[in-house]
Amino acid sequence: MPEPAIPRLTRLLGIVTQLEEYGEASFDELARHFGVSREVIKDDIDTLWVSGLPGYGTADLLDFDGYAYEEGIARLTESLGIRQVRLAPAEAVALMGALASIVASGAAPAAAEGALEALRAAVEGAMAVTVVGAPPADQTAVQAIREGLERSLAVVVTYVDAQDRRTERTIEPHRLVAVDGVGYVECFCLRAGDFRTLRLDRIERAEVTDEPASTPRRETEGFALEAQYDAEITVGLAGRWAFEDLPGVSLKSVGDELVARFGVANPDVIVARLLSVAPHLRRISPADLRDRLANAAEAVLASASIPEDQ
Amino acid sequence: MPAPDAAERLLNLLIALTHAPLRMTRAEIRATVAGYDPVDDHDDSETARKRTAAFERMFERDKDDLRRIGVPLRTVTDATHGDEIGYVIDAGDGVMPPISLTAVERAIVAVAADYWQCAALGTDARRALVKITSSTARIEEIPVYLAARSTAGVDAAPALAQAIADGQAVQFIYTSASSGRARRTVEPWRLVVRGGPLYLVGLDRDRGEPRTYRLSRIEGTVSPIGERGAFVAPVGLAGVYLTASVPSLTARIGLRAESGHALRRRGRFLESKGEWDLYEVQYSDTDSLRDEILGLSGAGRIISPLSLAEAVITHARAALEAARA
Repeated sequence: MPEPAIPRLTRLLGIVTQLEEYGEASFDELARHFGVSREVIKDDIDTLWVSGLPGYGTADLLDFDGYAYEEGIARLTESLGIRQVRLAPAEAVALMGALASIVASGAAPAAAEGALEALRAAVEGAMAVTVVGAPPADQTAVQAIREGLERSLAVVVTYVDAQDRRTERTIEPHRLVAVDGVGYVECFCLRAGDFRTLRLDRIERAEVTDEPASTPRRETEGFALEAQYDAEITVGLAGRWAFEDLPGVSLKSVGDELVARFGVANPDVIVARLLSVAPHLRRISPADLRDRLANAAEAVLASASIPEDQ
Repeated sequence: MPAPDAAERLLNLLIALTHAPLRMTRAEIRATVAGYDPVDDHDDSETARKRTAAFERMFERDKDDLRRIGVPLRTVTDATHGDEIGYVIDAGDGVMPPISLTAVERAIVAVAADYWQCAALGTDARRALVKITSSTARIEEIPVYLAARSTAGVDAAPALAQAIADGQAVQFIYTSASSGRARRTVEPWRLVVRGGPLYLVGLDRDRGEPRTYRLSRIEGTVSPIGERGAFVAPVGLAGVYLTASVPSLTARIGLRAESGHALRRRGRFLESKGEWDLYEVQYSDTDSLRDEILGLSGAGRIISPLSLAEAVITHARAALEAARA
């Protein structure tokens, strides 16, 4: 299938701008810079070379140095004044909204704010998006984790889990991630002997050790927040809000009920959601979620029924 | 010359309109710009009509495509040419300035371009990255050990961003907890990201009041209506509709040892009583404090107000019933 026109046009303008601003470049350099293959770049140069003003005579076309071309080098000799255009409103919202969300998650290095500032120059007029940050993670702790990452050293962290249990553990950080505006560290946890994903805003303290990391970093590990199993919950329509922003959720209204299907990454988080909309719950599957929900509800009732003056 | 593909045609149209001394009419564009199908005098009238209609459709789409990526394509009428509409691109307008990014900054921007998982914003973000790449120096990439992803359904975002920039009202079908499913007419002011979900803040024309809309509750397409520049969005107001209200209510809660750290940080310690540490916390939203206590799975309890304590018990009982059904 041929590449859609808009992305290709954007890159064609980009190549002209890149060569005008920063001088000649080899096809390989351009391929690396734009994240496409050398063949794509060569096709692009061929296209640019025959494009130009109506008439399309030799003097009307974008022009390259033919000798350099034979050497695999793009040397632009006539640009016809063509340049890349600024970010359109939707493009600015998409890229800068994403960047600002990553900054707000606390997972990005300090340089992210510099990037955001530099990008503002690329936007025509005012930005159409505002990012409201969550309570920030402790940046001293995140800094220690980043140092562990960059120097491949183990880090000792004090972590408060979703059930509010506080533990001290030694982790080998592999990657910082931002998911839906929340920052996490993907790591190998020596205490658990397994890969773990910890929320940055639940790390109270972190200290780099001298111990080199022992587990190889898994580049393909991806998000350790991947679903363990699929759940199907039926709720009254008033319970919709608890499910609509779950990752990959599909919602279907059937009469006065709503069926939510989604992948469960952390059952504890889902149990908390289910408790929030408990009066509207109709059916829950699989059994694992039912059991966990029952256990949590029983524990709540046991504590709640203790008289104050015991 | 073989027929150029759509990107080549768009490029030739862009070059032609950028260099047009005043403007180019549709007829001139069709006759001279590479990639369009020029008038052929040998056609019979039916064939000529069909080919003209095909040109018109293609040109309309090309015009929209150029505007979508931010090319300042203007429509001009000229009285001396019988008011026929012409087109021109103002060279120099809307040109991307050089952007100076360090290797780390560039790597982070590339991570941001992969943030959105939904099709619409994902495409826009990747195109934005190509534009930024055009105007930054070629430097070696370095690893930043960072990844990012959004799972929010925000397909309405690009259309809303465009409408905000244009100062144009929009219509969409929206489902809310209070008013059900209805068509809304809104003057869009600003998009707001808070954590995962995206919101639109704008003036609801039917209600005559500012409202906040969650993008995941917008159904189908967002249609611009009325003139561009029909309103001016107020500055600095967006946050007002999203920031939490000031906590004004007080609750007494009990927390077991080594638990409820978030509540401990927010609250004021009163005393320890048996296995419970008693705290006083300020809150503004009854439901969220109830959910917070429920989420502690028995490591926390409400002592007062009574209504809140009862809400916790009601929810736990309902959950037990649903789990055992």
